[in-house]
Amino acid sequence: MDEEAPGSMRRTSSRTRKVASKMAAALASSDNRMQAELARLEALENDNAGIEAVEVNDDDDASLDDEDELDVVIKGDNCVVIADFHNSIAVHLKRQMKNSKRKTRQAKALEARKAPRTFMELLQEANLEALPPHVPSYLRAAVGPPSSTSRRYFCTVCGFTANYTCVRCGVRFCSIHCQVVHNDTRCLKFVA
Amino acid sequence: MSCVVVLDNGGGYIKAGIGGDRDPSVVVPNCIGRPSASSKKWLIADQLQSLEDPTSVALRRPFDRGYLTNPDLQKDIWDRLLRSLHSPTSSSSLLLVEPLFNLPSAQRAVDELVFEDFGFRSLFVADSPSLVHLYEASRRPEGLVSRARCSLVVDCGFSFSHAAPVLQNFTVNYGVKRLDLGGKALTNYLKELVSYRSVNVMDETLIMDDVKEKLCFVSLDVPRDLQIAWKQGKNNKFKCTYVLPDGVTHTKGFVKDWDEAKRYLYSADGSYERGHLDAAEQLEDRKRNRIDLTKNEFNLSNERFLVPEMLFRPADLGMNQAGLAECIVRAVNSCHPNIHPVLYESIILTGGSTLFPQFAERLYNDLRPLVPDHYQVKITKQEDPMLGVWRGGSLLASSPDFESMCVTKAEYEEFGSARCRKRFFH
Repeated sequence: MDEEAPGSMRRTSSRTRKVASKMAAALASSDNRMQAELARLEALENDNAGIEAVEVNDDDDASLDDEDELDVVIKGDNCVVIADFHNSIAVHLKRQMKNSKRKTRQAKALEARKAPRTFMELLQEANLEALPPHVPSYLRAAVGPPSSTSRRYFCTVCGFTANYTCVRCGVRFCSIHCQVVHNDTRCLKFVA
Repeated sequence: MSCVVVLDNGGGYIKAGIGGDRDPSVVVPNCIGRPSASSKKWLIADQLQSLEDPTSVALRRPFDRGYLTNPDLQKDIWDRLLRSLHSPTSSSSLLLVEPLFNLPSAQRAVDELVFEDFGFRSLFVADSPSLVHLYEASRRPEGLVSRARCSLVVDCGFSFSHAAPVLQNFTVNYGVKRLDLGGKALTNYLKELVSYRSVNVMDETLIMDDVKEKLCFVSLDVPRDLQIAWKQGKNNKFKCTYVLPDGVTHTKGFVKDWDEAKRYLYSADGSYERGHLDAAEQLEDRKRNRIDLTKNEFNLSNERFLVPEMLFRPADLGMNQAGLAECIVRAVNSCHPNIHPVLYESIILTGGSTLFPQFAERLYNDLRPLVPDHYQVKITKQEDPMLGVWRGGSLLASSPDFESMCVTKAEYEEFGSARCRKRFFH
């Protein structure tokens, strides 16, 4: 449908980025356990727990308004639909113009250059893979996998050596007591 | 008379002072913080240290995974720092300590900060292993480190840990091995464990840093210690209580009972072992150890040694990386075989994360089986691991030919950042 186009266009803009990228991957991927583990490792490098979610994006309320209008369009009867449809397009165009006045492409590029970037972005930009193999670099200095692949597991509930694995999510626990606690609180937290 | 500002710009703490001094005049956290979400004011570096109430401080750091990612933020912090040093930047040189393998974009950003925003007269960029080597060699002119002119520097910092061979005062960059675990990840891991098991402290980075520094230690025998930590009552030597600030009677968290917290130190020879307690004693014991819900406090037992344990076995955390001991072996093996015995005999520990009690002993225990029998293994702890790099920098800055090694402002303006960087060989 025509009127859905603006809505979907908006949706791709700012809102998908709000979910932590690794978390999104964890929800989408088939290999959930591994993804959840990666997400957890990634979280160890955060400065604050969940400060990223607080940051406000001014495009947000606009997109919510749009959805409301679409709802009205779909619910109303025929002639109202057409009137509302024109109306919504006009509103949308106006908003787009407003948007374009607020942020030109140049301004956005400038903003992007000034905004602090994550380390991963900088690393990608440095393009260290392109260096010849004898040149030491950040990537080549990493210590690499351990020589013995054995891994000790600790109970996620009490920290003691864990002999059992949760059949649903793969998290370790040491006793039936800890299993109960695990099932009540943490099980499938990442992969539900 | 010109002076040299020595700046060890770490991810966790900035150490700054005037070259030639013994100790840096300023040691401040390299971050800004906001006491609570409602207040708008961000506190910069040293203001955070004098903050009365450290609860729920949101932090922002210019460093991410050990490298500079937010130069604007760094500029604000340096601005405040350099003003407190009372040294006019236009007439002084800067000795800056950068992380190994710094990214080109971060180098450019730093050069811009140094020459354009602050207008320093000249700049010298050093890396931490060579400065640590320099300092240790000068402290013991007759020691092996200075006679063989090589050493292996193990730097466990805030963002990552490096094992770096140093030869003739230069870091052997193809021999450097990095483990992506440092103090920050350990604090976050402790936060995660405590938040799940007792109180939610996910927002309390500053407090949990304090907990980690005061209560965590390295275990010499993990299975045995796990067994002890599993026991109830007084038999559990590792159990101790930390009281969170309540904002009324005390605004800083503290360890409830230091005697209790220090008990693990006696456990090595087993002399502290006691038979089982009689019933009355047990009851009294349980009363004392019960968590008082009116006060905000939590117990720690096996978390105290499982957290630093991750440096030695990152695989336990799910990381596909070798532990610190293997890191050292690989760093040594990438050097020429003739210097292997000397490197193993001159391992120097530096960086804030090596401050955990029993760190060196455990590293020795891990390392010894991996090293050939006929090599000696000797691990030296720096006496003040957080300041060791700075002191080396101070020493270098006071050497007579320091000025000739610098890149001057004029050279920077003529050739730009990339060309000037070639002078520092990294």
